[in-house]
Amino acid sequence: MINKILQDRVYSLGLVLVTTALITSLVFPSTFPTFENFSQILLNLSIDTIVAVGMMLLLISGAFDLSVGSIVAFTGCFTAYLMHFFNIPVPLALAAGMLSALCIGLTNGYLIAYQNINPMIQTLAMMGIIRGCALLVSGAGIQNLPYWFNAIGQSKLLGIQMPIWYMLATVGIFTFLFNKTIFFRRYYYIGGNEKAADLSGIHVRKMKMFAFMISALLAGFAGILLSSRLGAALPTMGRGLELRVITAVILGGATLTGGYGKIPGALLGALFMGLIANIMVISRISGYWQEIILGLILIATLWLDKYLQRKYSAIS
Amino acid sequence: MKLKLPHLKVYSVFSLFGALFLLSVSCELPPRNQSAAVAARASNPEPVSIDNEEYVMVTTAVTMPMYVNHDQAAFRRWGKKMNVKVSILGPAEWDVPAQINTIEEVIGTRPTGLLINGTDPAIAQVINKAVAAGIPTVVYDSDIPGSNRHAFLGTDWYEIGRMQGEEMVKLTGGKGKIAYMGILGLTNMDQGFQGLLDVLKKYPDIEVIGKYDDKANVEEAAKITSDVLAAHPDIAGFCGFDSNSGPGIALAVREAGKAGKIKITTVDWEPEHLQLVKDGVIQMLAGQKRELFTWYGAQFLYDMVHHTNPLAQNDARAGITSVPYIINTGLLKITAENVDEFINR
Amino acid sequence: MPHIVLSHITKQFPGVKALDDVSMSIEQGEIHALCGENGAGKSTLMNILSGNLQPDNGGIFLDGTNLRFSNPQQAFAHNIAIVYQHLSLVDSLSVAENIFANQQPVNKWGIIQFDALNHQTSLLLKQLNIEEISPRTLVAELSPAQRQMVEIAKALSKQPSILILDEPTASFTDKETRTLFDILKTLKKGGASIIYISHRLEEIFVLADRISILKDGKHQGTFNASELKKDELITKMVGRELKALRAGSTRTTETLLVVKNISGSRFSNVSFSLHQGEIVGLAGLIGAGRSEIARAIFGIDKIRSGEILFHDKPFHADHPAAAIRERMAYVTEDRKNQGLFQEMTIEENIVAASLPFVMKSGFYDRSKARQISADSKNRFRMAASDLQQRVINLSGGNQQKVMLAKWLLTQPDVLIIDEPTHGIDIGAKYEIYEILKTLAAEGKAILMISSELPELLGLCDRIIVVKKGTVVGEVVPPDMTEEKVIRLAT
Repeated sequence: MINKILQDRVYSLGLVLVTTALITSLVFPSTFPTFENFSQILLNLSIDTIVAVGMMLLLISGAFDLSVGSIVAFTGCFTAYLMHFFNIPVPLALAAGMLSALCIGLTNGYLIAYQNINPMIQTLAMMGIIRGCALLVSGAGIQNLPYWFNAIGQSKLLGIQMPIWYMLATVGIFTFLFNKTIFFRRYYYIGGNEKAADLSGIHVRKMKMFAFMISALLAGFAGILLSSRLGAALPTMGRGLELRVITAVILGGATLTGGYGKIPGALLGALFMGLIANIMVISRISGYWQEIILGLILIATLWLDKYLQRKYSAIS
Repeated sequence: MKLKLPHLKVYSVFSLFGALFLLSVSCELPPRNQSAAVAARASNPEPVSIDNEEYVMVTTAVTMPMYVNHDQAAFRRWGKKMNVKVSILGPAEWDVPAQINTIEEVIGTRPTGLLINGTDPAIAQVINKAVAAGIPTVVYDSDIPGSNRHAFLGTDWYEIGRMQGEEMVKLTGGKGKIAYMGILGLTNMDQGFQGLLDVLKKYPDIEVIGKYDDKANVEEAAKITSDVLAAHPDIAGFCGFDSNSGPGIALAVREAGKAGKIKITTVDWEPEHLQLVKDGVIQMLAGQKRELFTWYGAQFLYDMVHHTNPLAQNDARAGITSVPYIINTGLLKITAENVDEFINR
Repeated sequence: MPHIVLSHITKQFPGVKALDDVSMSIEQGEIHALCGENGAGKSTLMNILSGNLQPDNGGIFLDGTNLRFSNPQQAFAHNIAIVYQHLSLVDSLSVAENIFANQQPVNKWGIIQFDALNHQTSLLLKQLNIEEISPRTLVAELSPAQRQMVEIAKALSKQPSILILDEPTASFTDKETRTLFDILKTLKKGGASIIYISHRLEEIFVLADRISILKDGKHQGTFNASELKKDELITKMVGRELKALRAGSTRTTETLLVVKNISGSRFSNVSFSLHQGEIVGLAGLIGAGRSEIARAIFGIDKIRSGEILFHDKPFHADHPAAAIRERMAYVTEDRKNQGLFQEMTIEENIVAASLPFVMKSGFYDRSKARQISADSKNRFRMAASDLQQRVINLSGGNQQKVMLAKWLLTQPDVLIIDEPTHGIDIGAKYEIYEILKTLAAEGKAILMISSELPELLGLCDRIIVVKKGTVVGEVVPPDMTEEKVIRLAT
C-alpha cells in the first residue's frame, strides 16, 4: 500500500503538498490558512495549470512545446487587438483568438509530425515568431478592454474567481478523457513506443499533430483568460511560462521520454509551485531566492523519485 | 433495488439544469466601472496599527542590477535608518502577471505600506485592490493611469527621450542618420521614443533610420548596432533606452573603430556606463534619480501611517491624502565634464 | 592449471537467486560453451566475469590469482573482452571509431590519427573476412549482421586472452557464422580462452570443446562435447523430454490471401497465396527481403505495384490500422523497438491494438481491459505475478506471448509472424509452437518468417523461399528438407 502511494506521483506529491501546507499553517497561522489566501494561490496558478494540462498531454505522447508562453501572449493580444481597434464583438473576437491558437498548433504539429522537424527546434522557432507577432499587434499593450471580455476572468462564482473554475473544469474534463476515451489513451502508447504504436494501428502522425493543436488551444484559452483577468493584453505575458509549466508537469509525474503522467499531476505540480511561491511571499523571502529554491526542489523531487523507484521496485 | 435507467437519465438531466441555473444565479459579475467604485470607498486609509511595522516593495525582475543597486539599496538604507522592517518581493524575470500575483498575495498578509514599481498599466486593478483594502500604496518609476495610488514618484520618460534628442541634435550639428533601440512593447519606453522623435522631427536634415528591439540584452544590442553600421556606414548617432542598450552599442561602435566619431546617448548610469563616458565612447547619459523614488516613496508611506503632517482633524474621514500626489524627481545629465563626480561617488 | 576458475559464485537479485554456488573452470586455449534456458543465469555469470556485476559470494581466479572487478575497465585491463548480446555501437560514428572507441591512436599532442585508425581497422576487418565494410562507413548504414561483426571486431581489437561471446550469431547467416567460427578457432590456437553462449545447439556441438550447463542459477555439470548427445543436453537444460513439433496438417482448400506480383523497396514481383488453416514458412537469408514483404502487405511500407486479394476482395493497406480492420495481424521480429510498450503494463500491451474492443458505451472500460487481458494471460500461461507488471521485467518468452496475445485479440484471419522464437528459451519456444498449431487448427492462415530452419521444417505445411527480394521457389512435402531450402536460398 505505502509502496503504491510512493510510486504514484499523484499520491506522493499530494502527500508532500498536504504536509507542506500543514507545517506552513502552524508557522503562519494568521496569514496562510485563510480562504482569501488559498483562493489567491489557486487563482494565481490557474493560467499555468490550464497550459500545463496541454503540456502534460504532449509529454505523455513524448513531445513538448516551447511556444506555449508565446501563444498565451499572442492569443491574448490578438483578441484584444480585434476588439479594441476593430470593435469586433466579444464572442467573435474570442473565436478568432482561439482559431489563431489552433492554427499555430496546427503549424507546429504538421511540421513536427509530417515533416519530421525536431519538436524542440520547431517550437523554439515558433516561440520567437509568435512573440514577435504579439509585439506587432499590441505594441506596448492594449488597455481598456470591453466590459464583457473582462467579465470572463473577473467574475466570481460562489465567491471564487472564474479562472479557478475554468482550471478545475479543464483538469476534470481532461482527466475524464484520458481515463475514458480511446482517443486520449492512445497517447500513452505513442509515448511508450512510437513505432510499436504505429504497428498497432494507431495513426501516430495524425495523433501527434492533434496533440500540438490541443495544447495550443489550451494555451490560447489561457491567454484569453489571462488578459481578461488583467483587463489588458501585454506582449510580455507568459514569458518563461513554458519552462515553468514543463517543470510543473515533470513534478507532477511526466517524463521527457514520454508514456508517463496523469492529468491531475499537472494540477498538483502547478499547485506545488504555487504553494512554494506563496510561502516565499508570506515569509518575505526575496525574489532572488525564488528560482534557486524552485530549482533545488525540482532536483530533490526527481532524485527522491528515482531513489524510491529503485528501493521499491527492488521489493516488488 | 436498482433504479431503472431511463429514470436515472431524467433525474440527471433535471439536476444538471438545476445546477446550471443555480450557478448562473450565483455568478457575480465584476463592477462596471472599477476605479470609480473603489475610489468611493477609500482615498486615504484608516490609521493602521503600527506595531510590527513592515513596508513591502513589489517589483518585477528583482534581480536586475539597476534595481538592486539603486531602488532596492536606497529602500533598504531607509529601512535601517527608520528602524522598520522592509521586504522586497517579486519575480526574478520581467513578468508583469507574476508581479500582480505577488501583490495579490501580499495584500492578504496586511503590510503597513506597499511600494510598487509601476511596470505596466495593467497593474492598476491590483493597486486599487490594495488601496481598497486600506493599505497605503505608493507607485514609483512610471505612473499607473486609472489607479487610485496615494502617491507617485518618478521620471517623465517623454523627457528622457527629449533630452537625448536635444543632445543628439547638438552632437551631430542637426544632420545625419540616427537609429534608436530599447525594449519594444513597454509603455514608458514608448513614451521615451515619442519624446525623441518629437525633437528630431523638427530637424529635416536628420534621418531616423529605424527603431530596434535589443530585448534588454547587451549581445543583441551589439549585434543590431554592427548590422546597422554595415548597412549605413555614414550613420551619425545611436540612442539607447534600456540599461543594456548603451554598453551594447558602445561595444559594436568600438569594435568598428568609430568610437567618438559616432555619437551615442543612452539611459542609466551604472559603473560601466560611466566608464564608457569617461572613455569618450558614450557622449551623454540621461540618468534617473532612482534612489529618490524609493527613499521618498517609503517616507511617504511612513508619513501617511504616522500622520506626520495632518491636514485635517482626521485625514481619512476628510477623504484626503497628506502626502504629495505626484513627484517628478527630475533627470541627471552626465557628460564627460561631470562624469568623475559620479565615478567617485 | 586452468586459465580461469569461477569459485562458488552466488548472486542474489531482488526476488530471485540468479546464481547459486556456481563453480567452473576454463582452460587456456579452449572454446567453452555455456548452455541454459533464458533466465538460467548465463548472462549474469558473464557480467560478473566481465566486471559489470559483482558477486555476493565467491571469487574469480585468473591464473591462480584472486581478482575482484568493480567495473568493466578492470576486467578489460586483465584482457577480458565481452561481445554483448545487445549491441553497444554508436550509430553516428564510423566503423573505425566504434571499434577503437576510447582507444583511438593519437599523436603526441593527443590528436587522433585517422589514417592510422582506418588502417588498423581495415587490417582487423580483413582478418575477420569482412572486407566489404569500409572503416569509414557509418554504423547506421550497416545491416544487423554486419553490426554484429563490427561488435566482434571491437572485442578483438583489445587482443583479449579471454573472449566472451553472448549469442553472437543471432543475426547471422551461415556464411557469417562460418567466418566467425574460423576466427574463433584461430584465436583458440593462439592460446585464447573463449566462452561461448548460444541458443543454437547445433553450433555448440560444431564449435565447443567442453560444455557447461546452467539451470535456474545452478551448475548442472561440465561435459566434453564429444561425449554429450544433443538430446541429453536439452534434457539437462530444460529437465524434460521434447516431443515432435507437429503431427498432421489442418490445411484447407479455402484461399484467404492472394499476393500477386507485388513490388516495393527491396523486393519485387512477389506472388504467393495462403489458405485457411495452414502455416506457411517464409525462408531466406538475413536481408533477403522476408520482413520487407511482410511489412508491405501489412501497410507499414509502400507497395509500388502488384495486387493483393484478401477474402477475395482487393486489399490495399496504407497504414497498419487499415490492415487490422480487415483482420490481418503482424507480429514483428523486433520486440524491443517495434513490438512492445516496454515501460507499460501487460494489460496495456495486450489491449494496445484493439482499443475499440475495450469500450463500453463509447468510453474506455478498464475492468473490461482487465478481464480480457486476464483471459489472455491464462490462455497463454504467462509467467507473471500480475497484469500490472511492466513487460520490460518479463522474460523473452513471456514478452513474445504478450505480443501474440495482443495480436490475437484483434481476431485476425491472417497472422504474419516474424521470428517468433528469436532469443527465447526452449521451453517457451515449444509453447509458442503449440499456440501457432492451435491457431491454424482454428482456421487461421499463418505466414511464419524464421531463420531457424528446424522450426520451419517442423511446423510448416510448405515453405516459400526468397532470395534477393524475389521468390525463388517453394518447398513442399514430401521432399521438404533443410538441404533443399538452403540450396534455394543461397
